[in-house]
Amino acid sequence: MLGFLEKVADYTKEAVSAAKYLVDGLGVTFDHMRRRPVTVQYPYEKLIPSERYRGRIHYEFDKCIACEVCVRVCPINLPVVDWVMNKETKKKELRNYSIDFGACIFCGNCVEYCPTNCLSMTEEYELASFDRHSLNYDNVALGRLPTSVTSDPSVRPLRELAYLPEGIMDPHELPANQKRAGKLPTQIIKELQADKSQEEDNNNSSNIVPNKLNSTN
Amino acid sequence: MNIAYSTELICFLILSAVIVSGSLAVVLLENIVYSAFLLGGVFMAVAGLYLLLNASFVAAAQILVYVGAVNVLILFAIMLVNKKEKLKPIKGLKTRKLISGGVCGGLLILLLRVSITTKWNLPGPTSIGEEATERIGEHLFTDYLLPFELASILLLMAMIGAIVLARRDISISTGDINDFKNKKSLINKKIPLLSENSLK
Amino acid sequence: MNSGIDLEMSFTQGVQNLGLSHELAHLLWIPLPMLLVLVSAVIGVLVTVWLERKISAAAQQRIGPEYAGALGILQPMADGLKLLVKEDIIPARADSVLFTVGPILVLVPVILSWLIVPFGQNLLISNVGIGIFLWIALSSIQPIGLLMSGYSSNNKYSLLGGLRAAAQSISYEIPLALAVLAIVMMSNSLSTVDIVEQQNTAGFLSWNIWRQPVGFVIFWICALAECERLPFDLPEAEEELVAGYQTEYAGMKFALFYLAGYINLVLSALLVSVLYLGGWGFPISIDWFSSLIGLSIDNPLVQIIAASIGIVMTILKAYLLVFLAILLRWTTPRVRIDQLLDLGWKFLLPISLVNLLVTASLKLAFPITFGG
Repeated sequence: MLGFLEKVADYTKEAVSAAKYLVDGLGVTFDHMRRRPVTVQYPYEKLIPSERYRGRIHYEFDKCIACEVCVRVCPINLPVVDWVMNKETKKKELRNYSIDFGACIFCGNCVEYCPTNCLSMTEEYELASFDRHSLNYDNVALGRLPTSVTSDPSVRPLRELAYLPEGIMDPHELPANQKRAGKLPTQIIKELQADKSQEEDNNNSSNIVPNKLNSTN
Repeated sequence: MNIAYSTELICFLILSAVIVSGSLAVVLLENIVYSAFLLGGVFMAVAGLYLLLNASFVAAAQILVYVGAVNVLILFAIMLVNKKEKLKPIKGLKTRKLISGGVCGGLLILLLRVSITTKWNLPGPTSIGEEATERIGEHLFTDYLLPFELASILLLMAMIGAIVLARRDISISTGDINDFKNKKSLINKKIPLLSENSLK
Repeated sequence: MNSGIDLEMSFTQGVQNLGLSHELAHLLWIPLPMLLVLVSAVIGVLVTVWLERKISAAAQQRIGPEYAGALGILQPMADGLKLLVKEDIIPARADSVLFTVGPILVLVPVILSWLIVPFGQNLLISNVGIGIFLWIALSSIQPIGLLMSGYSSNNKYSLLGGLRAAAQSISYEIPLALAVLAIVMMSNSLSTVDIVEQQNTAGFLSWNIWRQPVGFVIFWICALAECERLPFDLPEAEEELVAGYQTEYAGMKFALFYLAGYINLVLSALLVSVLYLGGWGFPISIDWFSSLIGLSIDNPLVQIIAASIGIVMTILKAYLLVFLAILLRWTTPRVRIDQLLDLGWKFLLPISLVNLLVTASLKLAFPITFGG
């Protein structure tokens, strides 16, 4: 009898605690409702792509030497380099260059290996088109520069989470001059240099300190 | 003939047509699933007849019990064992059909005779409408108490039987050679219904 | 007790004054409430769908529909329109008759149940004596429609979903009915109007929720299970069963399921507010309030104000519960089928039986507070 009652008591306790957890969960959900939406209202707001964003590839026809390194490092040999050998000058003459962005995976190998830096990655990612053949960019299309999100008057640029100042989650009402959390690479380099010089100073002074310690002993 | 009477008549005719054709279809249709669904339709039509008789509580109970419980149970059973297999041809099916048809026809004629020869007390007792619920309760707990209690005991027995059948935790045979022995031992081994382990 | 506004009486009298017979007037009256129910049910669904999308968005820190009308208020309308003009597909190997009848059998009982939802003293379609019992009976038809559509789709997911739905609604019908029974025992009537009236003697203190807190919880859980709302949406568990019995449906037939689901949710919320939260009753007694101003309760102005307050109160309470349901949707994970049946048979059923017993004994012990 007592065992049965104990069981009932345990069961009730479990039920009550389950109900408590449920109410806790409801509280969490309810609390989320008063928070500001974290979504980006895309066509009207856009995130500013980061510095190393790997978007559509930009290509400068005049810099290219038609060495085909980009083709060789590409995982699927995608770039098409159309050149002819000019027998008189014994130089390659570039006619056309194209990359099919329908097949490109934006790995950036070609950009990495280009000896003349004629390839670079842009921040453009809106490549949608009605026809997959129009994704095959020729050297003219590749040479176009994308409009920057920050300079587009119809778009409200938003900073990504990592580019917000410390403690701020919402990029909406942020003045443009606010600095991001953490240090910029240039700052880090500067600090490193400063540290180094200080260390050298310390090394100089450390010769003195042990002497002092020794003397107290 | 006023509007109320004619609507009642039309409703009655439609409902009876549904009941008669539906029940015939339940019996005669080859597809057992159709039969089951049509049975639900017939039950609902019967509930409609009760409604026409101003017995709304009985109608609702009819829907709740027959449509909501019995028919759904039948459907469940059909859908869980819905194997499409050809039945073996039964010997002398025609004579069997003839005999059962004869019995049913005889019953129908008997019933018709009874319904014609009986002097119905027309118009019948006035319907009590909404009070019916209370009246049913009164009857169930006074002069029909014994059948009521017996029915509940029967239901309890059925429920306990179902639990006993469902709770038998026999391990599934693995198809070994020793299986024959195991089977025997399983049958001989009595599994207590409410042992300490089974309560946990 | 005052009779309040009686629209049917005044309508039939008005028509009779035009020179028509009483029966004809009644016949003219009949389609009006039907139309009203259909329209109000559909509007209720539209509002609920909008609320669901907006509240879900808020709970997930999104914005939700925004551009179809102000704050996306026309989005459900656009959804409905889309479903209306979509191609109506019947799978080739499906059973076309059962496939078509299934969704109808799911929707019709739900709409029929609106018969008994009172928005005021006489503001309901019909004050049936068996009131709440009618709802329980009607909602037991639904599983047949679900089984029908599950079977006829000729799809294993559909069949599994249909079977699950039927099993779920059968097992949760019982604690639901027992919870209702406790209420009925206290108010001595099955009629929803009587149930509400018995709660409105002393403002919100006399609501049934104080006398039946356990019953309230049981009823709400069971109502959520009957509506297949999220903690119990196993029949259409999209990760396991694609969409359950709705998998093969498209266009208007799918819309019927969709409608039935949301109408059922609104209906359940309305019935919770009727059974436990005092229905159309204002938290402060209207009688007391009108006597405070010095107006007779039979004053037409007071009557109209009271009726509109009643409607607003009923809808407000119902939508509060809808809000709770949506919040629960994003809080609780889906239960497994064994957990669902465990909860139904091993938790809710015994508890509701105990609740019934306790209510009965309390009724015998304190006949004044628990309905003599």
